[in-house]
Amino acid sequence: MKLRTDFIERNELHDYLHENFPQAAARSPEISEIRGGRQAAEKLLARIDPVKYSKTRNYLDGAITRLSPYLRHGVLTLDEVRVSALQRAGKAAEKLVNELGWRDYWQRVYQQIGDGVWKDRESYKTGFRLADYALKLPDDIHTGKTGLACLDAFSHELRATGFLHNHVRMWVASYIVHWRQVRWQAGASWFLEHLLDGDPASNNLSWQWVASTFSTKPYFFNRENIDQFTDGKFCRQCPLNTQGCPFDASYDELQQRLFPNMNADNFTGGRR
Amino acid sequence: MNDALIWIYDDCLNPHSPALQKYLNHPAVYVFDEEVLLNISLKRIAFVYECLLEIPAIQIRKGVVSLELIAAMHENNCQRIITIASIAPHFKQIVVALRQRNIEVEILPAPTFVNLSSGDLQQLDLKRFSRYWQQVKRQAMSLKESLC
Repeated sequence: MKLRTDFIERNELHDYLHENFPQAAARSPEISEIRGGRQAAEKLLARIDPVKYSKTRNYLDGAITRLSPYLRHGVLTLDEVRVSALQRAGKAAEKLVNELGWRDYWQRVYQQIGDGVWKDRESYKTGFRLADYALKLPDDIHTGKTGLACLDAFSHELRATGFLHNHVRMWVASYIVHWRQVRWQAGASWFLEHLLDGDPASNNLSWQWVASTFSTKPYFFNRENIDQFTDGKFCRQCPLNTQGCPFDASYDELQQRLFPNMNADNFTGGRR
Repeated sequence: MNDALIWIYDDCLNPHSPALQKYLNHPAVYVFDEEVLLNISLKRIAFVYECLLEIPAIQIRKGVVSLELIAAMHENNCQRIITIASIAPHFKQIVVALRQRNIEVEILPAPTFVNLSSGDLQQLDLKRFSRYWQQVKRQAMSLKESLC
């Protein structure tokens, strides 16, 4: 079936998509403000700041590039971004180039294992059996009704924009796998439905890194970590601000709580 | 002579892609796969669509990819398909389906992050990122290695 290409206004295109992709529109009708295309990608590329990126990239308001949707679809190449970063900052661009390397790395693993990205690369190193993990994503997570201000805001952001900061992806993945004990595949499918940069390599293998099926330890975080990198904005408005926050503990305490059967030094807390 | 149809796949929506540069003025087609559409949100479709609209004279279709490509070949009087390599199993399955119908498919190499020799490539250790990075860092941090 042939589709139209003669749109004058963005709204006209979006109305057309609603009509011609009714199943997708029925499931999640939102359209992101992030615009597709090489022109938008070049504007973002012109603004990258590799030095600031290396210092602030873990903060939600840090100088991240937001280029991933364009890289995922080959609108820009990794090499173009790499060269641009090196020309601007030389050796000081290493952190940004290193992060581009992560995408290349996931792609090379994908090339080797293909649809194996959907299978656990290794067993969970959490002290739990595979059968202990639920298969389905709980409704309160994808509808943004967990009651946790941070997680619910991240869920709504994913649905509305199709983009999440990398640190947020790690928190969400960790919450789903380690606090809710859901298999990573359920969360990975949810991300792939919505993320504009969603591809099975970077997405699934990153989920496996958090889950510990493609890393030596599970990744988890605590309230202090979220507070630090979000400037406390979610905690201040959270109904669980004063008591009941499941993340409000030291890493040692959380490790005991989340992974009671695990060896003492087998965990990854905080930053990657 | 427009004998080649350029098949635009999801992994290379660049209006300056090697296929579009090598085969100037040849018809270019993208197909939304009806099976993939069952699992993605409208905003993902919109993003891809907006990327496609910047490709000159793009033709956009939806349905079974191999069948839609063959229909586009007939409509554009093309005898073969040109595309850019993708590592996605989905891409490889479509190429197999086309070749089973005796369609000639030329696959151009995709742009790479670092240009490794075949020997380095064979020895590349992908067990963990840290090992991979140790092996590619020198090239990745060098402007001399640029393929641009």
